[in-house]
Amino acid sequence: MVTATTAATVIVAFSLLVTTYFVVWNLAQIAMCPVAALFLWRHQQRHSQRARALVDRLVAPPLVSIVVPAYNEELTIVDSVRALLALEYESREIVVVNDGSSDGTLAALRDAFQLAPAPVAFAQPIETAAICGMYRSLAEPGLVVVDKINGGCKADAANAGINAASGTLVLIIDADTVLEADALSRAVIPFLDDPATVAVGGNIAIINGCRVERGRIAAVELPSSWLAAFQTIEYMRAFLLFRLACASVNGVVLISGAFGLFRRDAVIAVGGYDRTAIGEDMDLTIRLQAHFRRRGEPVRIEFDPNPLGWTQAPEDWRSLRSQRCRWRRGLLQVLWRHRRLIGNVRFGILGIGVLPYVLVFDGLGAPLEIGGYAITGGAAALGLVNWQYARVLLLVSVLLSMAVTFVAVLLSDVATRRYMRGRDLVPLLETIVLEHCGYRQVNSWWACVGTVQALSGKGGWGTMKRRSFE
Amino acid sequence: MNAVAFRATDVDSTLMWFAVALATVAAALVLVERAVFALQQVRLRRLERRYAPLVLRALADDTAAADELAASPPRHRLAILRLLIVPLIDDRDPLRIERTRAIVPAIAFIPTAERYLRSWRWWRRALALHALGLVQARDHTAAIVAALDDPNANVRAAALDALTDLCDPASLQAVAVRLHDPSLPAGRRAAALAAFGCKGEIFLLDLAEVDAAHRANYASALALCGTARARPALARWTEDPRAEVSAAALEALARIGVDGDAARLAIAALEHKDARVRAMAAQALRGWAGDDAAAHLAGHLDDEWPVALRAARALQSSPAGVVELQARTSRTDLTGVLARQMLWQGAAQW
Repeated sequence: MVTATTAATVIVAFSLLVTTYFVVWNLAQIAMCPVAALFLWRHQQRHSQRARALVDRLVAPPLVSIVVPAYNEELTIVDSVRALLALEYESREIVVVNDGSSDGTLAALRDAFQLAPAPVAFAQPIETAAICGMYRSLAEPGLVVVDKINGGCKADAANAGINAASGTLVLIIDADTVLEADALSRAVIPFLDDPATVAVGGNIAIINGCRVERGRIAAVELPSSWLAAFQTIEYMRAFLLFRLACASVNGVVLISGAFGLFRRDAVIAVGGYDRTAIGEDMDLTIRLQAHFRRRGEPVRIEFDPNPLGWTQAPEDWRSLRSQRCRWRRGLLQVLWRHRRLIGNVRFGILGIGVLPYVLVFDGLGAPLEIGGYAITGGAAALGLVNWQYARVLLLVSVLLSMAVTFVAVLLSDVATRRYMRGRDLVPLLETIVLEHCGYRQVNSWWACVGTVQALSGKGGWGTMKRRSFE
Repeated sequence: MNAVAFRATDVDSTLMWFAVALATVAAALVLVERAVFALQQVRLRRLERRYAPLVLRALADDTAAADELAASPPRHRLAILRLLIVPLIDDRDPLRIERTRAIVPAIAFIPTAERYLRSWRWWRRALALHALGLVQARDHTAAIVAALDDPNANVRAAALDALTDLCDPASLQAVAVRLHDPSLPAGRRAAALAAFGCKGEIFLLDLAEVDAAHRANYASALALCGTARARPALARWTEDPRAEVSAAALEALARIGVDGDAARLAIAALEHKDARVRAMAAQALRGWAGDDAAAHLAGHLDDEWPVALRAARALQSSPAGVVELQARTSRTDLTGVLARQMLWQGAAQW
């Protein structure tokens, strides 16, 4: 009798905790909506077409080195480089880093761009795995290929590219990122406007389902696969709510590895990407924020909500699981490494606002959700579940989450005008509803698996099946 | 316990209705926004179909088309103005600007712009400023200059953009004195000065003489719009005790080109203790063959990386420099690679 009462008390206490937690989390996200919307509106007003024309009128626009780390990217690398060469920004060089690929990445580049071995001198302020060779293109003066021994991570390849870059700004992208033609003209504006800007991140969308011709998006379509469609919605939420809200208070903590424009000297000052970091992009962003704030120097990390690039989302469960577990391990590692920043007033909004939010909600959300399901299952077995309560809790959680997603779609509509045709509406609504029927729960489960992997010291990047664009 | 659970359920049912309302409102917002956008697009396309050919004809000096535009209903005029003015952002053909300026008064552009300039909404003021600048409405220069003191930073930036487009000599002074205004975006300040070209040079030189504190900024500005006339002053500033002034002056000289005196000072600056100054001195000597510059530059091929790189590029640009580079190709260190790179690039047929 006493045991049953204790179990009931624990269950009620836990359900109250979970209810409060998820309501507060969703309300926090809902509170972010007007902040993000205001930031977006101001951004669109400031970055009018006339403001963007500034870059074309500069006598000497800043040289941007586009660093493309490539590991076994034979299928997409030539199209990617061609698309980069066709960018509307003239003052740029392209540094492809072949990170010891075992496929024909280097051969594909050599054939397509007439690569020739050439002496290329550069200082190596950041330590990387050994360089095997340097190539220049005889067809394209602005193309350099660095061939190096595999460093075991993208960070090492990116660092080699940053070393070899001669631009004052370095753009780090994934080899399969497809950029919008005006991505660079847009992204350099914050650097021109405010000398305190050290980095600019961009809004990235899912390319699955779109038609790509010669490295450019020819037609925007919602992905036909459910997995990719769910990720499309997820990306909208991630890029257009939390990051916009963070940007509005100069507290951006993550510049996606798919598109990040950095001041080269700032990246070198913090030692480049950390080769031991799993979430190397988030780690670098936080180190940049912390470095300048610690020294009392002005720092601004901007986020551009306009569509700047497209990336492939995994379309099979295995690749997605591998990606999500890695993201989770990366998040926990970054939070652990920067634990001294959390709650530290010295780091301003980063220390007292953004990082505590990430810890409490991104860090604890998935374990609490899975814990909630487990406790409910256990309680059901013991006949201790108040089903009305459980039903209401689930419904509230789903409805609040859907409300947040709808706002993210609204912001995406304003910022990108993608998926705006009448025939996109029904699939979009279906996706918003159906992602709650298993997808989000599976994601939370993978986050828990990732947590266990992180605690048990398991690592590795895993592999993702890539497809050629055409 | 049951009572606690019961109260919790009560709270949750309130929460549920709150959540239902929120999700419904959010979904409705998406639907309404999409519907409004679709209707707007239909209307815009309809107006474009109707007025775009007329605009093209009016720009081609067809007075009948211009009259037809002038007779358009007032509710269509913003769309017509958009068709006329927005292309001017990228197309700065003086003839097109002049024709546009001749057409727009008939479609109530000036009263609309003036009304927008007085609006309490900053984005309307900014829009009006951009439009006035794009059509080069020089009779509004004073109003645009006054907007440089607007309380809203975006309006001030728009005013600067407008003055850039306007290129009215009467506003040069207003632009130049805001060279050090940190509330204005740095890139746009540079673009505004660059738009005036060498017209701003004398003014900047005069200002720099009386305002030594901001000399580095003036030197950077002269890098954008300076000519040979600025060379003596810039050469003098290379000896300024402040490293940032010396570096900026040398950078400007690199853009303008050095003469004998400036080259001698640049060679002397190669021995400066600050690497920024040495790097800019090497850059300034690019293309200069006299005064044994090559030998001095070659001595810096194993200097700090930014200096070495610029010295190598400068050496690449003169026959004597190429000889110095060739003499170092057999070295196995970074200097050797740098020398080989410069020679390879010089020989590459792009």
